[in-house]
Amino acid sequence: MNDAPSIVVDQLVKQFGAFIAVNQVSFQIRAGEIFGLLGPNGSGKSTVIRMLCGLLTPSSGSATVVGFDAARQAEEVRQHIGYMSQKFSLYNDLTAIENLQFFGGLYGVKGRALDERIAWAIKMSGLAGSEQLLTGELSGGWKQRLALGCAVLHRPQVLFLDEPTAGVDPLSRRQFWELIHQMSREGVTTLITTHYMDEAEYCNRLALIDEGRIVEMGTPTEIKQTAIKGDLLLIECSPLGGGLAAIKQAPGVLDASVFGAALHVVVSAGRQPLTELPAFLAAHDVRVGRIEPISPSLEDAFVSLTGSRALGSEPSQ
Amino acid sequence: MNLRRTAAMSRKEFTQVRRDPYSLIVVLFLPLIQILLLGYGARLDANHIPVYVLDQEGSQDSQALLKAFQASPYFDVIKAVNNYHALVRAIDADQCKLGIVIPWNFSERLDDAGRTSVQAIVDGTDDNSAQLAEGYAQAVVATYASNVQLDWFARHGISQQATIPLSVDYRTWFNEDLESKNFIIPGTVALVMALMGALLSSLTIAREWERGTMEQLIATPVTALEIMVGKLVPYLGIGLADATLCAVFAVGWFEVPFRGGLGAFFLATTLFLIVILGIGYMISVATKSQLGASQYALLVTLLPTSMLSGFAFPIDQMPAPIRAITYLVYSRYYVSALKRVFLSSAGINDLVPEVVAMTIYALVIGFFATRAFHKSLQ
Amino acid sequence: MFDRIWCMIVKEFLQLRRDKYARFRLLVPPIIQMLVYGYAATFDVNRVQIAVMDFDHSQESRDLLSRFAFTGRFEVAKILSNEQELKSLIGRSNIPMALKIEPGFAELLRKGQTAHLQVIVDGTNSNTALIAVGYVNQIADQFSQDYARDRLNQLTPALAATVPQITLEQRPWYNPDLNSQWFFVPGVIGSITLMMVVTLTAFAIVREREIGTLEQVMVTPIRPFEFILGKTIPFFVVGLADVILVAVVGTLWFQVPFRGNVLVLLLGVVLFLLSTLNVGLLISTLSSTQQQAFVLGFFFLNPAFTLSGFAFPITSMPKAMQMITYLDPLRYFLVILRGTFLKGVGLDILWPQMLALALLTSILLLVSVARFRKSMD
Repeated sequence: MNDAPSIVVDQLVKQFGAFIAVNQVSFQIRAGEIFGLLGPNGSGKSTVIRMLCGLLTPSSGSATVVGFDAARQAEEVRQHIGYMSQKFSLYNDLTAIENLQFFGGLYGVKGRALDERIAWAIKMSGLAGSEQLLTGELSGGWKQRLALGCAVLHRPQVLFLDEPTAGVDPLSRRQFWELIHQMSREGVTTLITTHYMDEAEYCNRLALIDEGRIVEMGTPTEIKQTAIKGDLLLIECSPLGGGLAAIKQAPGVLDASVFGAALHVVVSAGRQPLTELPAFLAAHDVRVGRIEPISPSLEDAFVSLTGSRALGSEPSQ
Repeated sequence: MNLRRTAAMSRKEFTQVRRDPYSLIVVLFLPLIQILLLGYGARLDANHIPVYVLDQEGSQDSQALLKAFQASPYFDVIKAVNNYHALVRAIDADQCKLGIVIPWNFSERLDDAGRTSVQAIVDGTDDNSAQLAEGYAQAVVATYASNVQLDWFARHGISQQATIPLSVDYRTWFNEDLESKNFIIPGTVALVMALMGALLSSLTIAREWERGTMEQLIATPVTALEIMVGKLVPYLGIGLADATLCAVFAVGWFEVPFRGGLGAFFLATTLFLIVILGIGYMISVATKSQLGASQYALLVTLLPTSMLSGFAFPIDQMPAPIRAITYLVYSRYYVSALKRVFLSSAGINDLVPEVVAMTIYALVIGFFATRAFHKSLQ
Repeated sequence: MFDRIWCMIVKEFLQLRRDKYARFRLLVPPIIQMLVYGYAATFDVNRVQIAVMDFDHSQESRDLLSRFAFTGRFEVAKILSNEQELKSLIGRSNIPMALKIEPGFAELLRKGQTAHLQVIVDGTNSNTALIAVGYVNQIADQFSQDYARDRLNQLTPALAATVPQITLEQRPWYNPDLNSQWFFVPGVIGSITLMMVVTLTAFAIVREREIGTLEQVMVTPIRPFEFILGKTIPFFVVGLADVILVAVVGTLWFQVPFRGNVLVLLLGVVLFLLSTLNVGLLISTLSSTQQQAFVLGFFFLNPAFTLSGFAFPITSMPKAMQMITYLDPLRYFLVILRGTFLKGVGLDILWPQMLALALLTSILLLVSVARFRKSMD
């Protein structure tokens, strides 16, 4: 693998009038890496990707993709990237094959090479036998993979995926990620934005972004370890709301929030929460069910770092 | 039908329009611009008809005839040519619509045989302008000819012939100045309202579907009829305001007379708006694509109103099958009502046929629109 | 470059083919409109229904009135016995004109004085009124001439033959019967084409923007110019097919003559299509939603159609308005259509129109391409 970074983003800023969507964002991505940009809706993820694709001009700062300046050499950049937009914008009134032929043609893939790539894309998306179906009739998972196929017909070095798994069933999502990993092994650099915390675990490295700023960056493990200052406990109690209000007053509790049907509580290290807290809660008329330590998830990390709840996350099991 | 829910729909709709500056511009400025453009542009009066003359004789008599043409307010004698070919070319190239050719023996023949003729070559492409031009040219020559005759009678001492036997006295009712703007502009108001109506109703439906709020509405107890009526009411109000604006403009700026009753005007406009809003509604509900909706909307509003409503082309002159078709053209009744209200002192009881026709139309459209809406919600 | 343009063209045609209603929409309405409007568009004044009131009942009055019935331009629909009945007729029925002859008509004539024919006319449609008045004047003039000649004949037959008479020979060119369909059918061809092409193209780019495929396409190496060409060429082909269809139907059905050069007409058609395509394109780049495209389209089409010289002569408009019509491609196309169909003129006469269309096209295209940058800013 090449040592020079594939993507370099330096102090990137995008302002729309008075609203700053992207605020001094900087990161570097190595060739072959799967890099995730994780954050809630409206945090600026899509804006970052669009600037890297040359769809938006930065207000200040710079972005370089495979050696080309994204703002000034947008056309060169486009020759080397594949992009999947949020709505996997395919033509619903064209068949799968026709969509592939169209995008292949736009990328200059011709003749035998195009036939081979199209055959690969059909197989990869599991559409063998359904090539003549109109794209509009396909369900989410197939469309998603088809859109991915359309984006990589020209074997780009870099792949930009903007929320590629939104609205797709979990099984299809898993299959999709296998494809991404496969391509990464072949040396394709991937920048993916998502708000699904559990998916973010599949990335090599992550940047957590909130309100236009990068809050934390590193591998998923690193983030989970460093984000939570203390021990994390899962407490099932009833009433839940009353329990939340009470536990925040408890001594040694740094933070608490509702996760699904239980509370996640951060306790400062060196205490005996397993014995102390149930008693405390009982004194506040809160009955405690299960209480046990758990390892932090990315969502826990995110909540802790930003103090806010990310939307659309699956409850940790 | 629950009035409170309907009122809630209306209020929401009105607020949405109010907050969207783009809609406001469309709704207020565009009708005015249309009236302005069409009010000035849609004229049938033949004035300043460009004329070329070819005087092959150049005598005092022929010059006198040419002066008569120059003096006529209907003609603009632009150029005098000295050969036939130049005249031909001018007509070919649209540089003039009428060519007057006075033969080289004009006054000679007049003295000898007493009969002579002048040629008027008319560009017949536009048959209407040609007919008007012919009529005016005929009048000019007739006046000149009778003056020549009277002169002649005087010279030969025949006094009895000194008077013209027959004179025609005209009394014009309703559009005394016989200016085309006075009957075209009321029709223009109808045309603009037809466009506005189709536009407004398509805006409202499309907006809901686009934003997905329609599905939201369906989940509530509100009924299809309530949604429709609730949506229609604010646009009806806007449409009435627009129509008033247009009428004020017609009267104030273009000086079209307004002699009828205000009640008649508002009643006719309200009925018409209900019909057109309903039609626009049906189109946007029934067609799946925006492109289709706009093409059908054009098909059903702009061209039929321009061509078949009596706006410009007189319905009486159309062949019978086409005349029958015009009974289906909803704007026909509105155009007729507007002309009556502007040019004659028509009150509501003078507009009974139009009102009845439009009411029937409104009911029928209302029925189909509700049904179409119902279907689309399933 | 051509590969990418070809890709776009193929895609557009595939989409058009899949649009089930497109085929219907592009074929049936234009033909129906051609037939209906070809008949409807007329300013003819024939068979004017008139009411007559003869209170003189003399030979002269009957003579005069019978001349009206005789011409075929007028039809005596009603004979009234008193003037009050006029109120319910004029403006409220299909009788726009009434003739009245007062008692003493013949007596005045015989005494050598001027007798009067009273005409009450509904001025609402001033155009029909003016034309009808023209006919009335013609009939009245003829009556006067005949009466004067007869009288002279009785007094001094020798002189009667030498009374100077000046007649006006009317020679309508190109359309000797003044058939209004010959004038309007070319106009209807142009108008239908304008409507269709502008609405088709106005939605072209906006639709892709709305569904999101525009973003996807912009990230590919395609250039703005290629994208625009790729989108408009299919519409050009469709538009051309439609013009030819409508023109053939119109001219065959209404038997409008074609006296000019087909190639000249074709050049005019091509240039006109290009300019209308570019109008639609410009609208598309100015709109961010299909609704906006709809609005802009409508409000361009209404004046473009009405002020094109289709029905209302441009020379009747105030000078300022005439200036505005220079921006209307339909204006030039109508001159070309009428020129090639009815006048049989060629490029030597029509080159200004062709040039104007070419200029309009270029300017519109430049503006569209400039506006359409590959960015979402």
